[in-house]
Amino acid sequence: MDYVVSLLGPMAQGAKTTLTLFFVTFALAVPLGLLLALARISHWRLLSQLVNGYIWLMRGTPLMLQMLFIYFALPFVPVVGVRLPDFPAAVVAFTLNYAAYFAEIFRAGILSVDRGQYEGSKVLGMTYLQTLRRIVLPQMVQRVLPPMSNETITLVKDTSLIYVLALNDILRTARGIVQRDFTTTPFLVAAAFYLIMTLVLTWLFQHMEKRYAKYDQ
Amino acid sequence: MKKLTALFLVCATSLLAACGQGDDPAPQAAAPAAPQKVVVGLDDNFPPMGFRDENNQLVGFDIDMAREAARRLGMEVEFKPIDWSAKEAELNGKRVDALWNGLTITEERKKNIAFTAPYMANHQIILVAQASPVRNKADLAGRVVGAQDGSSAVDAIKKDAPVAASLKELKLFGDNVTALMDLSAGRLDAVVVDEVVGRYLASKRAGQYRVLDENFGTEDYGVGVRKDDTELLAKLDQTLSAMKQDGAAARIAQQWFGANIIK
Repeated sequence: MDYVVSLLGPMAQGAKTTLTLFFVTFALAVPLGLLLALARISHWRLLSQLVNGYIWLMRGTPLMLQMLFIYFALPFVPVVGVRLPDFPAAVVAFTLNYAAYFAEIFRAGILSVDRGQYEGSKVLGMTYLQTLRRIVLPQMVQRVLPPMSNETITLVKDTSLIYVLALNDILRTARGIVQRDFTTTPFLVAAAFYLIMTLVLTWLFQHMEKRYAKYDQ
Repeated sequence: MKKLTALFLVCATSLLAACGQGDDPAPQAAAPAAPQKVVVGLDDNFPPMGFRDENNQLVGFDIDMAREAARRLGMEVEFKPIDWSAKEAELNGKRVDALWNGLTITEERKKNIAFTAPYMANHQIILVAQASPVRNKADLAGRVVGAQDGSSAVDAIKKDAPVAASLKELKLFGDNVTALMDLSAGRLDAVVVDEVVGRYLASKRAGQYRVLDENFGTEDYGVGVRKDDTELLAKLDQTLSAMKQDGAAARIAQQWFGANIIK
């Protein structure tokens, strides 16, 4: 038990890295995903197809590969080449990747709103932007909550991929201690850390679902 | 409208002036005071050469060696954990300036990395389970052997072509501990590992593993830098040789290994 307590300090530092990456990615990928979703359903075909291609690229290649590319290969690409430090490189890769998944979830949510509501809004004299903000998006939020909960929990666990950039998140810290002490206990502590984080997220999303369900009655 | 424009111009000018003031003294103040910095890349999961202690601080034999060398050179040292399989990319992408973490000097690596003179000798030892019938390299025929992926143990096994060909399988692991756990689980018959690391890990589970008398050869540890970074290479070579002569290196070795194994 004393041993487990001695692990909590280093593991909490790892949790800080995990949580920072999680929150920054979430805060950036949600608005970007919404913009992508709107561009994807745009009547401007070129824009729609461009975003379609982007989503294909981001969902079609492993996140780890994207991260390795941004960190190791991007500095050598002419013109656009930038040499990002490790953590920003991870944030860029995670944001670009998760925005693609979020975009498809938001698109499903927007498309689930009946066409008749657009027509009704038009009759009431609302512009397209007003219709989106007042009518469509509030309904979208409620409908995307279950799939967003799924994807957000996946994001928490995907952060462990940053070990390829040698960033010490929860899992890599645990692996380091396993190397040092030759015992598997740190893995169990790491599992507990992840379970607590996902428990909080699960609870938050369920709470939000209940709040939005009020409007259905 | 005119008033607004004038106000804007005043603001913009004062902002520019403020920027200018900020810029001016900075380079003069920074240039002579700041010592040159060297970024050392290491696998921070490689005890006892470089790892994290209970307080999450980087410690180890190579960490102490690098600190001492940097102190003598009047340079600032920053330790940057890297994924060991990407060490060449980290070095040549200028994310780190030196690889200092039980880096074995091999002909293959010399193509991409410039090495200092060796500072320590290392053997590629063979660890087996205590009760294993394996007594020597010949006994490894038809058996499954494990090693860390990207480590010089893999090169050392492959160099011993007859033995390498006689193995049933050479399994590569992300790190040495997982290889040793697989040995304990009975899926492996032997693990080949750097002596310093192997003995450290075996001591953590006393009585479980046995070191064979035979090994896969002796090799040297050196510090790696970029091939075009001849200035840093010369400085490190000079400092390392001074540290060997005045006993500083031996003292650090005594502290970590209980013996002077400096070469």
